[in-house]
Amino acid sequence: MTQGQVKIMNKLLDVKNLYLSIESENETEILKDINFSINESEILSLIGESGSGKSLTALSIIRLLEKNCKIKSGQIIFNNTNLLSLEERNMRSIRKNDISMIFQEPMRSLNPVMSIYDQLLEAYDKNSRENVRRKIVDNLISVGIEDASRVIELFPHQLSGGMKQRIMIAMAIACKPKLLIADEPTTSLDVTIQKQVLDLLLKLRDELQMSILFITHDLAVASQISDKIIVMKDGLVLENSESKNFFKKPKTSYSKTLLESSSYNRKINLNKSAQNSNVLKVSNLKVYFKEKKGFISRVQNFKKAVDDISISIDAGATHAIVGESGSGKTTVAKAIMGLTEVTDGGIQILDRDILSMGANEKLNFRKNYQMIFQDPFSSLNPRMRVGSIIKEGLSFLKPNLDDEEINKRLKNVVKNVGLEESSLYKYPHQFSGGQRQRIAIARVLVLDPKLLICDEPTSSLDVTVQKQVLDLLTEIQINNQISYLFISHDINLVASISDTLSVMYQGKIVESGKTSDIINKTSNDYTKKLLSSVPQIL
Amino acid sequence: MMFVFLLTDIFFYIIIFTLGLYIFYVRKTKDILETWKHVFRSRTGIISIVVLSFFLIIAILDSIHIKERTYNEQTKSFSYEAEIKSVLDIILLPTYENTEKSYSSPFSSNLYSKETVIIEKNIEKRVYPKLLYKGNHNKYSSENVTNISITFIVSLLKYILIFTIFYVFFYFRIIFRSKNNIFNPLKENKVFFTTLSVMILLSIFLYELSLQYYVLGTDKVGVDVLYKSIKSIRTGILIGTLTTIVMLPFAIFLGIFAGYIGGFVDDIIQYVYTTLNSIPSVLLIASAILMLQVYMANNPLNFENIYERADLRLFFLCMILGLTSWTGLCRLLRGESMKLKEVEYVQASKTFGLSKFSIIVRHIMPNIMHIVIITIVLDFSALVLAEAVLSYVNIGVDPTTYSWGNMINAARLEMSKEPIVWWSLFSAFTFMFILVLFANLFSDVVRDAFDPRTSKNYE
Repeated sequence: MTQGQVKIMNKLLDVKNLYLSIESENETEILKDINFSINESEILSLIGESGSGKSLTALSIIRLLEKNCKIKSGQIIFNNTNLLSLEERNMRSIRKNDISMIFQEPMRSLNPVMSIYDQLLEAYDKNSRENVRRKIVDNLISVGIEDASRVIELFPHQLSGGMKQRIMIAMAIACKPKLLIADEPTTSLDVTIQKQVLDLLLKLRDELQMSILFITHDLAVASQISDKIIVMKDGLVLENSESKNFFKKPKTSYSKTLLESSSYNRKINLNKSAQNSNVLKVSNLKVYFKEKKGFISRVQNFKKAVDDISISIDAGATHAIVGESGSGKTTVAKAIMGLTEVTDGGIQILDRDILSMGANEKLNFRKNYQMIFQDPFSSLNPRMRVGSIIKEGLSFLKPNLDDEEINKRLKNVVKNVGLEESSLYKYPHQFSGGQRQRIAIARVLVLDPKLLICDEPTSSLDVTVQKQVLDLLTEIQINNQISYLFISHDINLVASISDTLSVMYQGKIVESGKTSDIINKTSNDYTKKLLSSVPQIL
Repeated sequence: MMFVFLLTDIFFYIIIFTLGLYIFYVRKTKDILETWKHVFRSRTGIISIVVLSFFLIIAILDSIHIKERTYNEQTKSFSYEAEIKSVLDIILLPTYENTEKSYSSPFSSNLYSKETVIIEKNIEKRVYPKLLYKGNHNKYSSENVTNISITFIVSLLKYILIFTIFYVFFYFRIIFRSKNNIFNPLKENKVFFTTLSVMILLSIFLYELSLQYYVLGTDKVGVDVLYKSIKSIRTGILIGTLTTIVMLPFAIFLGIFAGYIGGFVDDIIQYVYTTLNSIPSVLLIASAILMLQVYMANNPLNFENIYERADLRLFFLCMILGLTSWTGLCRLLRGESMKLKEVEYVQASKTFGLSKFSIIVRHIMPNIMHIVIITIVLDFSALVLAEAVLSYVNIGVDPTTYSWGNMINAARLEMSKEPIVWWSLFSAFTFMFILVLFANLFSDVVRDAFDPRTSKNYE
């Protein structure tokens, strides 16, 4: 939305030469010379990877920094007053009336023991409480909650994530603020809901004439919403430009890398292996969870997490499953890996039925199919050295290797995933997120599997790191002829790396076929909705 | 001379041995070593470690029991005495070999109550009789204050001699050790040396003093109260540690099984500890101790001597305390294992086909150990206090066992005397207070170091 009404724009917020350090034994400078300004009814996006200092910038504006963070110098001028020199009492009134903030995690921002009405009530001034119920209902209607009079009686756990984020927005705009700070407000939401929230923010901007400081790591989202873009890295503002110009002609090389990384393209088209054999064949898979109720638990009803799905993957090919949270895509992965019980159906890997295998046979066969998990921070045991983490699978699945051979393989695999040999003797907490995901890949790669299940392997990583990990996965696929079952919520990403694609919705596959066919000419309503919700860089 | 192993001794040795194994294990494991170094570096940590080691050393010395061999004139043969002594008894021999008639206050030279003494024929007088063995045998000066001061100076000189020897020995060790040594931070640690100096000086001084005085007075039957208090250390520490050892297997295994395996097993374990929790533990302990007493009364031949009886009762008390106190830790561990079960590195190991047992040993155990360590150290002081309370209501250790609880129990009557006999209670209280205080300080530091939420090792 770059076409804001052309009129004389007044500077609403002006951040000048802001320096911030964290005080500890050795003081570290986090923000260095931050300069930017926001005009009235303008949306400014602050883009950066984790650790770039974007959230701290926002917190310094609203002055909610942790105690060990000290603003060294600089000015934050809001409506001609320097916020940094205000007394806490006056600052509180600014927070109440002029600047509001919404946070990333709507689940944690609402108090679970208070009803929505009670929580919204807090946002209103004590003096203007006549007709406050009406006001709250109107407010909720304005953020797109239609049955507002029913919703205000509910408690947070009864609402969906998107609904909670709307309520957070309603709370933030209750005082009709001049500036709204939104810290990654859509990151934890599904794409379809993300689109609704973004549309809502744009609508509110026009209605209330408020400015928005929008913090995100997602360039596509930023391009959808913002008038101006600021790119931050390591506490420095690298680029400050109009949104239009930024996406056409980024000035700095870092911005270019960011842009390239966010639209990932698999460089090489795979040449299909000669024998077009099936690596994975899932037929009519059903996974139902029993919902227990009562003291002496009787099965009352089933939750159909995965309901009658079929997939097949050829050797060396990538099949992707895409779907929103709760669609059952991870359950499919777990069912194949044997981490959850299969209710009905068949799973064949390399033409062998793994569900009917005996325990010993299965232990021998397991090396052929492995899994990479979503969060590299929790998928590595913090108390084990990287060497023993990688060795774990080898020593259990290939017990007849001698120590020398194991060591040779460990060194090889670590090199293959782009880490140094000395990493083997370190602990996981000494590595960054991207490096940890490399370790997780090395752990399964050392087994030489034929099928790798990747459960959102990049979704918790920064964009530039995401690209590196995806490159690595592609490279491995070419070198080792591995098939991938790639699970993701990001249809953009999936479109660029998969050969075939299944779209899952509420436990069922709604559409399946060649990726290019589905992306370009789908006929399914849900797929269409998914595709149209995905933010594209304009 | 013959070594005697009482039941609790054996278990205490096992505990010491386990502690040694743990230290060995820690020195091999880098990240845990780092965390412990953090404990050693902190001021409070090092002070409490030094003080607690003094208590521990006393308890160890008091757990090595021997029987003296004597020559019997009548039967013309050697035989073992019935009395069992510990190494500590031999060291402290001057403080308890002779007993006075009754109460005497600290540093006094007379008994606490008047007696009728025949001075000459037919002339009787009510006087405070002089103490027979101590209080009237000043070494250096007849004036008490001067005497005590000179004693202090003498012990200071002795201390300096010991310290020099110790220092040379210590540096000798340091010089020939590799760089990554657990003692490294101690080398330049002034707090450590100061605490150690104060403790050693204090011990020497007290020892010198008790050759001449009853530093903390005597009790009803004329036994040195200082000796009683020092002997009670073993009981306190034994109850604190042995109980923990009894409860740990229950807590760890049941907690992990309940949390990790879940389902039916979880239900059973939960019901067991809920049931156990709902029985008042004092009732349980009282009935167990009464049952033991009945057993001992019916089978007097099973016990060679009074020491074994008292020891069995102490052991039994530890058992029953252990059986009632595992539920808290078990519940904590159950929750933690339930959480860990869903963590992705456990899931990843499942895809490698690891058995449940391997996963528990490799992934669950190391990641719950910090909770176990924190709980052990926290529970220790609570158990020492529990002993005092139980002995006070007569369901604790045997009345012949030296324990702070028994001393406090006896003080109940002494407090109602006129004039009041305060030193029994005072010394039991002081010793218990020091032990519990430093155990608590130590546990604070340990918790800070091991709790992943506060330590910086794991973000």
